[in-house]
Parts: sequence; structure tokens; C-alpha cells
Amino acid sequence: MNVIEIKNLTKNYGKSRGITDISFNVEEGEIFGFIGPNGAGKSTTIRTLLSLIYPTSGSAAIFGKDCIQYAPEIKKEIGYLPSEVFYYDNMKVKDLLNYSASFYKKDCSKRIKELAEIMDLDLNKKIDDLSLGNKKKVGIVQGLLHSPKLIILDEPTSGLDPLMQQKFFELLEEENKKGATILFSSHILSEVQRLCNRVAIIKEGKIVTVEKISTLKENNYKKFKVETKEPLDANYFNLDGINNLTVDGPITSFLFRGNINAVMQKIAAIDIANLWIEEPDLEEIFMHYYEKEA
Amino acid sequence: MNIFMHEMRANRKSTIIWSISLILLTILFMSMYTAFSKDAEEFINVMSNYPEPVRRAFGINLDDFFSILGFYSYPLSIITLCGAIQAMNLGTGIVSKEIREKTADFLLTKPVTRTAILTAKVLAAFFSLVITFVLFFAAAVLMANAVKTDDFSLKIFFLLSLTVLLVQLIFMAIGIMVSVIARKLKSVLAVSLPIVFAFYFVGMFFDTTEEEAKRYISPFKYFDTAYIMKHAGLEAPFLLAGAMIVILAIAASYFVYSKKDIHAV
Repeated sequence: MNVIEIKNLTKNYGKSRGITDISFNVEEGEIFGFIGPNGAGKSTTIRTLLSLIYPTSGSAAIFGKDCIQYAPEIKKEIGYLPSEVFYYDNMKVKDLLNYSASFYKKDCSKRIKELAEIMDLDLNKKIDDLSLGNKKKVGIVQGLLHSPKLIILDEPTSGLDPLMQQKFFELLEEENKKGATILFSSHILSEVQRLCNRVAIIKEGKIVTVEKISTLKENNYKKFKVETKEPLDANYFNLDGINNLTVDGPITSFLFRGNINAVMQKIAAIDIANLWIEEPDLEEIFMHYYEKEA
Repeated sequence: MNIFMHEMRANRKSTIIWSISLILLTILFMSMYTAFSKDAEEFINVMSNYPEPVRRAFGINLDDFFSILGFYSYPLSIITLCGAIQAMNLGTGIVSKEIREKTADFLLTKPVTRTAILTAKVLAAFFSLVITFVLFFAAAVLMANAVKTDDFSLKIFFLLSLTVLLVQLIFMAIGIMVSVIARKLKSVLAVSLPIVFAFYFVGMFFDTTEEEAKRYISPFKYFDTAYIMKHAGLEAPFLLAGAMIVILAIAASYFVYSKKDIHAV
């Protein structure tokens, strides 16, 4: 079952670019990454899902219901954490969380305590007095306190120290195991790589690809670096699937995609001093998508 | 209900401050009545030397200036001005503060309709004004009774006081509409003060002309104290005009707010 179905979603802001013809689905129980650089349209897409802004054309459904028409009903089961959190300054953390909980018709007090403990958050402080990181924690607790079925995170990790980030990811994984679907938007690829099953890559308001993380990596280039005693002839690795070949003195490096045996035979036939074969990380795959289209 | 309570709490401080200010103004002016009424005759002589338009501009009517009701009309115009500023601030603030303080994302991702949010906010602003009015009116009645030289009609006194609340409602509605239509207001005061003062001064100017129709331009001129004292009632056409402004402004606010894009910060 699809928790989120986005169909040909378009949003124009006057002259400036919004998003164009975005379509993808998020299945129940997955952690779905939504990656792209700043300004690519991640927030626009998410804000449309939350009916903070209205689409120019196209539609999106959450839990099978139109996200504009049934917005209040759908939002009962959504937890949202914006990239920048700002809360009513004159309130204590506790009061804000209770206010947040008052919108959901269930008792959240136990969950608030649990979450505050995990995130190491002092409930009695005034929000005014909190650091950015601690405000973020308030945001996290606020987004999770009603045990939502769908968690939408818009660049959630900024301002969190690595330790808290780790705890936060564990928390998300736990929620996911309990059945929550997660849409995780980020421009930091390592965190997407760490958490997500599938990703959508967005660029300049359009979806470039939607893939499983594993497929993305499988289908991709391997990085070869060969060190030889004598510089190699640049034409030696004259194979299909070889890209970006550079010869820098004794070091020859290239990217390869295809049957690995062909390359290995070539390498075996020469006298090598050293050899590195690396999986590209998501960052490089990502750059690849971006460069290819540029 | 939770949004309403939250808004009331958010309005609490300003409601208290405004109530105290209005009460102090009332006490200050009404306490002068004792001294004024003693020198009544002399004062009438002095004032009658001023040209009629000047007296009208300041709302001074020599016929009933020295009855307590007539005297009360004078501070009332300043109290109305202050009340209008309070109301305009409240109205302009209720929607724009969510955008300015960047809390709109919090509120609008909760399972509530925008209509319900706006309703709670409008009601909270309305009740804050009513609370201010009740406190101010209580103080005014007490003061009037303390300084009066003759008995006066409580009904007329109430109607005179009520004009403060009525003008406030008009400005609250205008404020709400402005805040909903504007994409982002940097400061409430920068919007509310010029609008309120503009209407106030326009009202002063038009009162010196005798044309009835021009009174419609400024809400400050909708409720003429001399008329109220004479007829013990409000002028129906102006009451209607005020009601229309409130209804149209609020209806427009609902319409715009439910369709408005809430942009990221």
C-alpha cells in the first residue's frame, strides 16, 4: 500500500521555479529519502503534502486521501519536523508539548516523558532560553509525541550534535519498526544512505530518479585506481564502460561500469604495484546524476 | 478550544496593559469633572470665544459639556482612539504573528482546518476586547458616580461607552483582513498606528464640514455622542455601516486565509 502518492504535482511561484510534474510513491513501512541540494524543491513538495501551500496542478494523496481535501483528517496521523523550528517563545517546553498534544485526541503525556528522556530534553525550561540544538529536540518530540503513522522530516538534523543525531536516528528506526512510514528530506547523503530504503533524487524542481539505495549503488560505477611501475599507455584500458580515465605518472584511475572480469583480465596482464577498487558512495552517485543532466 | 485558550493566554499581557491604560485615562479625566463643574460658567465664556469649527473638531458641545454625560464624551474620543489602536494591534497580530514568529508551520500542520484556526483567533481577539471593555466600563461608571453632581442616565452612559467597543470591532476586523492579505508583516505597529491615526485625523477633518455622507469615511465618526445623548440610541445607518465593514472584512479574511500559501521561512 502506498502511504504517499504524488501525481504530476506542480507548483509555480510567479516567475521563480517551484516544482514541476513531480510523481512518486512512498510505500507503507519504508524510510524514503528525498534528496537534492538546497532550493531543488524538497520543501515545496513537503509543504504541499502538508497543505501549507496549494499546488498549481496535479495532486497528492496521503493514506489514499487527497492531501488538500482531507487535510485535517490526514494530519492526525502525521508528525512533521520542519528544518527550522520556532516556537512560541513565552512558553515552557512542557506547555508547548502539551499544547501540541492537545490537538490529538489521545493521551500523549507518557510518550512526551519517554521522548524527552531519550532526547535528553529539560521540560521545565522556557523555550526562549534553549539553544538551537535543544529547540530542535523540542521539534523532534513535538513531531513524534502522538505516535504518527507517517513522519515527515524536512532536513531534520541541522543543529543536532552527532550524539543526538545518532539517538534521533535510532528513534526513527524504532518508530519505523513499529510501523511508521518516514519521508526524510535531506541534502546530506550519508544520513540518507544510513537510514533509507529508497530515495527520490530531485533537481531543479524535477525528479531525476527514484531508486532503491542498493540498486543505486549496484548499477553504478566502481572506482579503479591502478599503480604501475611504468606509466601506462592511455589507450591500454580501451574497453566499453570505462570513463574518466586519467593517467597521472604511475597512477591510472578510471570509473568502470559493466562486466568486471573484462577489467580484471586487463589488469592481470600488466605488472602492477598497487590496486584500489572502491564502491562509490552516494555522494558520488548523486554528483553523477547532477553532472549528467547539467 | 485549545487554540482559543492559547490565544487568550497570548493576548493576556496586552489586554491587561490596555485595560489599565484605559481605566487610568478614564479616572484621570473624570476626576477633573469636579473642578470643571465648579468653574462651569467661566469656562463656557472662554470656550464660546473659540470658533465653532474648533470646538466641533475637539468634540466639545457647549450645551451639554457640563453635564456628566457631556463631559464624559470628551475623554471618550481619546479612549476610543486608544481602544482602536488596541483593537487594530490585536487584529493585525493574530495571523501575522504566526508568520513573523515562524510558528505557522507548527499550527497549520496540526489536524485542524484553517477556518477553525481563524475562528479561534478571531473569537480570542473579540473576547480580549470585551474584557477590556467590561473593565473600562466598570471603572467609568464608578468614577462617574463618584464625581457626579446630578443623576444621569445609565443607559446613555452605557451607550456612550459602548461606542468604544463598536469602533474597536471595526478596527479589529480591518486589522485581521490586512494581516491575512499581507504576505508578511514585519511589524504590527508600523501597520496599525498609521491606519488608525489616518482614520482619526480624517474623521476630525470631516467633522468640521457639515456633510453627513463624509462621516462614513472614518469609523471614528460613526457614533456621534451628541446624537446618543439626545436620542438615547445609536444611529442605525452608521451602526449598519459598521456591521457591514466587520462582516465583509472577516468574510474576506476567511476566504483569503483558507486559500493562502504559507511559505517557508
